Amino acid sequence: MNDERFFTILAAITDAMQGTAERAPARLKSRLYSALVSEQAASGPLLSLPATKAAGRPLCVFENLLQVMPVGERVTSMNPCRVCHARVLAEHIESPPIYWPHCPYVAFRRPVKLDGSL
Amino acid sequence: MQSDTPSAPESGAATAASRGDALASEEAILLDAVLKKDRKATAEFVSRYADPVYGYVSQRLAPRADLVEDLVQEVFLVALQKLDTFAGKSSVLGWLLGIARHKVEDLYRARLREPESFSAVEDTSNSDPVTLPEFDELIDSARAQEKTQRILALLPEVYGLALLWRYWEDHSTKEMAAQTGKTEKAMERLLARARAHFKRLWENEEP
Repeated sequence: MNDERFFTILAAITDAMQGTAERAPARLKSRLYSALVSEQAASGPLLSLPATKAAGRPLCVFENLLQVMPVGERVTSMNPCRVCHARVLAEHIESPPIYWPHCPYVAFRRPVKLDGSL
Repeated sequence: MQSDTPSAPESGAATAASRGDALASEEAILLDAVLKKDRKATAEFVSRYADPVYGYVSQRLAPRADLVEDLVQEVFLVALQKLDTFAGKSSVLGWLLGIARHKVEDLYRARLREPESFSAVEDTSNSDPVTLPEFDELIDSARAQEKTQRILALLPEVYGLALLWRYWEDHSTKEMAAQTGKTEKAMERLLARARAHFKRLWENEEP
């Protein structure tokens, strides 16, 4: 078998087996989210937290706190995740200890199985 | 009471069509929310599409896992920049995979265009002759897959990328040369060295 034929066959065989897609690591999803929101914030204010809630999307405990405080729309349009420890944890740990609901980073967390493995 | 719903023979196709429409409209709502900078919609966008995009890029760059995450991030950033131009002619996933495909091609091109990529690796093509792997070895495709991944990971990066681009992405030597600004002969020499190195490792590796 010549080189070309060998590599052509090898590529065909191994390519056909690559149908099982891997899941993206939770750390990567967290970093993607942070990068996208940071990019959105760089070009102007984000949708304010009250407007986000009004659109039917639940807020996390910190976002809720921020949106009931007597602060202007400028503040509620900022990204509090930027200074939240949950973001830092989620960008570095596959299953970060975030125990409050509706934190965007919780959705990316890879569920821990009963035996403790990821 | 008479109903406006189609009769039974049409209902399968109609249901599928309406399911498709519902999905498209769900995607349109999500994209609209992302464009309005709704951060929760952005989180949903990542949740929904990161796995398939990551899967695609990993496959195309396997086993270069070190390159995958940065490239996936680039795909999403480009998608965000171009989101307002998405016409909805394909699914969002199809569109994202299109961006990913271009990014993978850009990476191959950039890595093989680097001046040192053709000279930095040792030329082993003219040393001891290497017997070609037997076809029988390839029949056990699961093993072939595993062994191929292992060997590609051991190769110098430029060899691995050249082989992936030529055989797994199915690009001709001529195309590769044109896209990297090299001569066809130079590209052929690189591929010959890459193949020789691969085969040497194939011989020496455990099955």
